[in-house]
Amino acid sequence: MNGTLITTMLISVLRLTVPIVLMALGNMFSERAGIMNLGAEGMMISSAFGAVLGTYIFNNPWIGVLVAILCSMLVAGIHSVISVEFGGIQNISGLGLNMLAAGLTAFLCRALFATSISPTVKNLQTTNCLKRVPLIGDVLAQFSPLAYITVAIIGICWFVMSKTVFGMHVVAVGDDPRTAETAGIHVWRIRHFCVTVLCGALAGLAGAYLSIGQLSFFMEDMTNGKGMLAVIAVKMGRWTPKYIVGVALLFGFFDALQAQLQINNALNIAPELIQTLPYVAGIVTMFISSSSKENPRALRQPYVKNKYKF
Amino acid sequence: MSKKKISGGDSLKAIMTPCLIILIAMAFVSVLLIAIGANPFAVFKSLFQGAFGTPRGLINTVSKSVPICLSAFAVALAKKVGVFNIGVEGQLVFGALGSAIAGIYLKGLPMLVHLPLSLLCGMLAGMIYAMIPTQMFVKRQVNLLVIFIMMNNLAKLFSTFVIMSMIRDPSSITTASLPIQESAQLPNIVTSPGKLNISIFILLGIGALIYIVFYKTVWGYELSACGLNREAARYSGINIGRYLTWGLLIGGALAGLAGAIEVQGTYYRLYDGFSPGYGFDGIPIALLSNNNPLFMFIGSILFAALRVGSNNMQIEQGVPSEIVSVIQGTLVTLIACEYIIKYLAGRIVYKKKEA
Repeated sequence: MNGTLITTMLISVLRLTVPIVLMALGNMFSERAGIMNLGAEGMMISSAFGAVLGTYIFNNPWIGVLVAILCSMLVAGIHSVISVEFGGIQNISGLGLNMLAAGLTAFLCRALFATSISPTVKNLQTTNCLKRVPLIGDVLAQFSPLAYITVAIIGICWFVMSKTVFGMHVVAVGDDPRTAETAGIHVWRIRHFCVTVLCGALAGLAGAYLSIGQLSFFMEDMTNGKGMLAVIAVKMGRWTPKYIVGVALLFGFFDALQAQLQINNALNIAPELIQTLPYVAGIVTMFISSSSKENPRALRQPYVKNKYKF
Repeated sequence: MSKKKISGGDSLKAIMTPCLIILIAMAFVSVLLIAIGANPFAVFKSLFQGAFGTPRGLINTVSKSVPICLSAFAVALAKKVGVFNIGVEGQLVFGALGSAIAGIYLKGLPMLVHLPLSLLCGMLAGMIYAMIPTQMFVKRQVNLLVIFIMMNNLAKLFSTFVIMSMIRDPSSITTASLPIQESAQLPNIVTSPGKLNISIFILLGIGALIYIVFYKTVWGYELSACGLNREAARYSGINIGRYLTWGLLIGGALAGLAGAIEVQGTYYRLYDGFSPGYGFDGIPIALLSNNNPLFMFIGSILFAALRVGSNNMQIEQGVPSEIVSVIQGTLVTLIACEYIIKYLAGRIVYKKKEA
């Protein structure tokens, strides 16, 4: 009995960590390049909606994932134009995009499906081809294929950030754009690429996982603060993939704990109080993590092209 | 060009920028409406008619603008100190909770004591709730926006918890608290086509008070100095931390008052999820109005009209009322790149002058 409980808990932790890790890695690229991305929540919700919409139209969840990535890249692109190209206020832009995406997805969901919950579509909840693996096949098959993609992405992110020239350029751009520009690095090109392509694509995967990887429908406000947890995880994880994964696992643990406590009702606490657990964990984590020296030094400081200086 | 002419152009530019932002947002929403197959003119017309067309709608619009305007004040106050207060929604919910508890459980008091006391409890609750993020920001420099968003989520869940397990009205079908005592209810000025209570006078009083404090006292001057240039203010000996704290705490109190007014003036009990996002309405208003209380009144009337008229629009045109949050989000996003729009506005203004 205890053994099965631990297994369920473990599976649940890993499942709930996936979207936070994906989003946090996306945000890591953006913040390393010096662009604060508070629009994480908005990118996730728009891609969650895009995933369901794509699957609904084409009846293929993989096309849904593709549509999801395009949707969040669109949102990320707007953020990138405002904060990289025009040097706008990054926090306000992110916040506005959060509000816009939440409103727009709810609006489109009502307009297309006439309810706040979309109809059920095909999903990517299990990986059936892994069932044939001996001994642990049943456990492995319980994860979405997107979760395995996430494992690969974590490795790639680590490699890109610490072993490639591109990773060094990103760090340089985020620390001191002027010097980077003098050294011949394309500051704006790298920033645009980090925000629109990398952050957008990872946010797209995270949102797709939320809607068709965990469930098989879209719901208003289904991100529920996960984007903000990702933002916290990046800061607490000091902008390095391995620590970010650690912090995301911690948040996933509290999320899973909350879910399990609600299902089992073991401690006889009101469900609303249990639901606050991930938020409290996030707030306490923020309190513990003070600003460190590894902070990308040009974070949130716009670096504007000469032609826009007037 | 004489000096007067330049300043005239600048003030025109200052009005032009928010107008341009609103116009772009409207254009975007119209495109969206056409995309889902609705006629934008018919939609805006039914929205306008719902908000201003009938006496009932008009009164509802005015009375809804009170909490929205208070939230706008709270956001504007924080903006004055140079920070961005988006925790108004959570503080508003907490204020409503505080005033509902005071309104239900304090019994046998005369109205003259009970009514202000309950309002005060709401303000205090909002203030206490604003204390946690404020202290974390001032002492440990955490990202204020992230913590405010987390606190907003937390406040909603907590208020549901309190309603469900402590003050729930067993006879009510929806999740709602017990009704508050009659002595804590705000008296109405008009009751027949729609309800308008005395909170509008409270709002006007607070508006005047804010104007006097911020433009006519040393305290207000030092507070805005923190917002204009924090480093310069620090070197001239102003205690930044204290002003930041007060800017956010008074904002919390105003948000709490907005929640208390909703409970004591509109519903006479605390409904779960009573606020459709008044706290978020305040953000674009405060950012667009350039800290001018008069513009804030106008802005909150407009947003209240959106809220009231959107019901009519949903019934008549079948357009989901979520369009309001789309407008909100578009406005805030456009404000982020305000200076590009300012540049555009400047070009329009000066081109006309030269021509």
